[in-house]
Amino acid sequence: MAASTHAARAARDLRGAAFLVAPLALVAIATAAAGDPAWTQTVVNFFVALTAVVGIGIYVGNAGIVSFGHTCFMALGGYLSAILTVAPNFKAGNLPGLPAFLAVVELPLPLSLAFVVLGVGLVAGLTGMVIARLDGAAASIATLGLLVIVYNVLIGAREITRGSQAFYGIPITVGVWTAFAAAAVAIVLARVFRGSSIGLELRATREDEPAAGAVGVRAVPRRWSSWLLSAMVAAVAGALYAHFLGVITPKAFYFHLTFALLAMLIVGGMASVSGAVAGAVLVTVLIEALRRLEEGFAIGSLAVPPVFGLTVVGLGLAILLVMYRRPQGLLGFAEIEELVAPAASPHVAPGPLPRVEAAGALVAEGIGRSFGGLRAVDGVDLRLATGEIVGLIGPNGAGKSTLLGLISGVLRPDAGRVTLDGVDATDWPAWRMARRGLGRTFQNIRLFRNLSVHENVEVAARRSGLDAGPLLAQFGLDALAHRPAGTLAYGPQRRLEIARAVALAPRFLLLDEPAAGMNETESDALLDDLRRLRDETGIGLLVIDHDLRLIMRLCDRVVVLDRGQVIAEGPPAVVQKDPAVIEAYLGRAHRPTEPNSEG
Amino acid sequence: MKRRHVLGTLAAAAALSQAPLAQAQETIVIGFGGGLTGYLAYYDGLVLNGAQMAVDEINAAGGIAGKYMIDFQVKDVRSEAAAAAVAGNELVAAGAVALISPCDADPAIAFAQPAQAAQIPVIAPCASTPVLFAAVGDYTFQTYTADNLQAAVSAKYARERGYANAYILISPDTPYTEKLPLYFADAFQKMGGALVGQGTYAFGQQDFSAEVTNIKALDPQPDVIMTSAYEPDFPAFIKQLRAAGITTPVIGSDGIDSGTTLALGEIAEGVVFTTGGFPAPGSDLEAFYKAYVARYGGAIETDVAPFAAVAHEAVMTLAKAIEAAGSTEGAAIRDALAAMTDFKGVTGSTVALNTPNNVALRDVALVRVTGGAKEHLGNMQPAAADVPAP
Repeated sequence: MAASTHAARAARDLRGAAFLVAPLALVAIATAAAGDPAWTQTVVNFFVALTAVVGIGIYVGNAGIVSFGHTCFMALGGYLSAILTVAPNFKAGNLPGLPAFLAVVELPLPLSLAFVVLGVGLVAGLTGMVIARLDGAAASIATLGLLVIVYNVLIGAREITRGSQAFYGIPITVGVWTAFAAAAVAIVLARVFRGSSIGLELRATREDEPAAGAVGVRAVPRRWSSWLLSAMVAAVAGALYAHFLGVITPKAFYFHLTFALLAMLIVGGMASVSGAVAGAVLVTVLIEALRRLEEGFAIGSLAVPPVFGLTVVGLGLAILLVMYRRPQGLLGFAEIEELVAPAASPHVAPGPLPRVEAAGALVAEGIGRSFGGLRAVDGVDLRLATGEIVGLIGPNGAGKSTLLGLISGVLRPDAGRVTLDGVDATDWPAWRMARRGLGRTFQNIRLFRNLSVHENVEVAARRSGLDAGPLLAQFGLDALAHRPAGTLAYGPQRRLEIARAVALAPRFLLLDEPAAGMNETESDALLDDLRRLRDETGIGLLVIDHDLRLIMRLCDRVVVLDRGQVIAEGPPAVVQKDPAVIEAYLGRAHRPTEPNSEG
Repeated sequence: MKRRHVLGTLAAAAALSQAPLAQAQETIVIGFGGGLTGYLAYYDGLVLNGAQMAVDEINAAGGIAGKYMIDFQVKDVRSEAAAAAVAGNELVAAGAVALISPCDADPAIAFAQPAQAAQIPVIAPCASTPVLFAAVGDYTFQTYTADNLQAAVSAKYARERGYANAYILISPDTPYTEKLPLYFADAFQKMGGALVGQGTYAFGQQDFSAEVTNIKALDPQPDVIMTSAYEPDFPAFIKQLRAAGITTPVIGSDGIDSGTTLALGEIAEGVVFTTGGFPAPGSDLEAFYKAYVARYGGAIETDVAPFAAVAHEAVMTLAKAIEAAGSTEGAAIRDALAAMTDFKGVTGSTVALNTPNNVALRDVALVRVTGGAKEHLGNMQPAAADVPAP
């Protein structure tokens, strides 16, 4: 089954790539047939920029981190290929610092490109070890730093790069076919990567890193892979740039190019490959149209004089307009075929839920955690066996969510230990807890909002080997499968979050306020669903909620937490009558409000 | 003929009158590619205006040799090499008989390559790094006072003043700030001087104390300090140099031919620099500057520079070459350009293009800052043998 779904996914991605590559092929054929040098130059320029933009999008789009640094990989690709391909007698006169083996080689372009991919891949692999650890603005600034460093190194290494002087004499070997081939390969790679498990998981981290961690996704290696692949594609684009102009300088690969390429990516929509293509097409078409207008034209007897600057100003206005109307870019998060022919969400027969085979337990022993002077959780013992439903209640600020964080690996306890089926899991991060059988939901729903309902579940399902479709049907979500998760109503969002956790085939499931915001009817339906879930799967459920009616009817056992400590534990009927519990709940009104650590 | 202008000079250009169409037999295309937007806009804007003036003058007089009217086709290359390559191809396809190139090296190279392949001459009126001949080929000509030409003149001046030991300050950030002092050192040493030290700085460097300390410790002390630094680096450097009590004469280059240098006051007193031309009262260049500001507005002191005059001259040089060749065929124009020995245009300098790398041998102006004003020390043309090889 796994092999066939792999093949089906690859087929889907290749079909999507074909949607993009086919029109580009027509452009290439028309250009080659016309044979006009200026037009050819324009089209080659477009294909090179497209290759770069698609390459940059592999990282920026999937990781959701704007990179200012990818032009440095273009620069490295351009310079490396230039050094490998220019004639030895040029090197003797202009690049005196080259090591002997580089000074004598004179490679053809295809071989040189292979070395560019390997060489720049090495640089990207090393820099990625640092940059992949960062996210958001920190990562963006780090990429900017990388660009500045590489720029200055290229200028400083003038014995092998000619420094700030133009590096000329590069064989002009890139024509329309080479450039088209590079763009097509970049598009196929980008589509396959985007649809692959790595790409899907990376997009999940883009949407919500903690939630991705809760389904076993490690962000850092995913970001690293996309950084590496996107750098390699950018490097090829840089090499093509060098071989179609025949001259490069470090400043050609600096801020100006960076912002020109990012503008294409952002205008088109950086979250999809189609967006990258659309952006490159739109910007190129605008430039070509505007620059013909700016040279002056005549309408009948009215001669419009040339106004240079129109191209730049017009392009800026167009970008502003697109961003104003469509802040996520022209295509938003969708690929072109999803817009042209939206996938139907047919009803699927509900499939069997994953079944917990061997009994086991998730155990916390004396765990605690302080935040500054506040002992949020203090020496708590908690045991959740497979097949049982345990309720965790307590007034606001009692430490319930902190306890959940400690058990699930989001927070590290400063006392006590956690074991999962007898194995010490105290120091396990959230993703490892998830991979070893612990699913969870969040107090404030954390979905991958811009991924489809199906993809939300698939992130987890691919890891567990389950089939996402029938699972969605189990949760009544099959008809919504292709909707972006963020567009669902509240109830379905809650159901989806649980479905996603179940798709992990967990042995234990932690639900943080699943009934929050529900009315009595919805809460009753949830109760039935959860009980059925336990009965059919044998998963151990730990449910936090303020809805005491739900907790008391649902749970086999209830644990009451107050001020970080367990004050009562037992069957619902017993706990309900415990004086300490009554005091904790009723007494709350008489005590000053405590700081809320659940946030 | 169409009127053309950049955004900034819209008002001035709108005031232009259409040139009368004379009875010439033929119209030829001269193509212009420049960075009319982007970082080259200041330079290429000046070049465009100067060249346009020459085209208008030629057409008003009935064309080149009364025979060829000029259709001046202008392309904005947006200061990008890729756009310059497209523009070069388009102008070649439009049947241009000659091209005027952008200022900076990489767009100029990308622009000139298709012309070289099609055997159409290209003149670069403001690129000062002598690189086109080697990078593109024998159809390219550089007519501005090249870096190595300026260096030959400042070296000659230094030796004539009796300076024996020189120190140079370079920045590898651009060819201009790196190579020009190196050319100076080369020429200075060939003329019998000695290089006693060399310092390096980075663009935007505020603190020159390390370089100043090194200069102070030199033995023997330099008689002259040469640099092609410009603002903000040059002001920072000379302030700290003088503050340290070092009174060694300083020679600069055309990068400091600006109001900022004069505004330094006492600190800049006595600084000598080379530049592309000086509008001395009654000179040809002054007359051109006056005509320029009369057409495009602004003031002679701030809104026009030698590039504009050299661009004007470049078009006139082309006209002369076409006239001499008696043909608009590329190879014939190229040969006529390469045979030119003493063309004289609005800069007032003779221009020789029969040089090894097609880089013009021409006058360089020497200017000294005296009493907060520019004092013209005179124009000097180096012997071809004194110009360092690029």
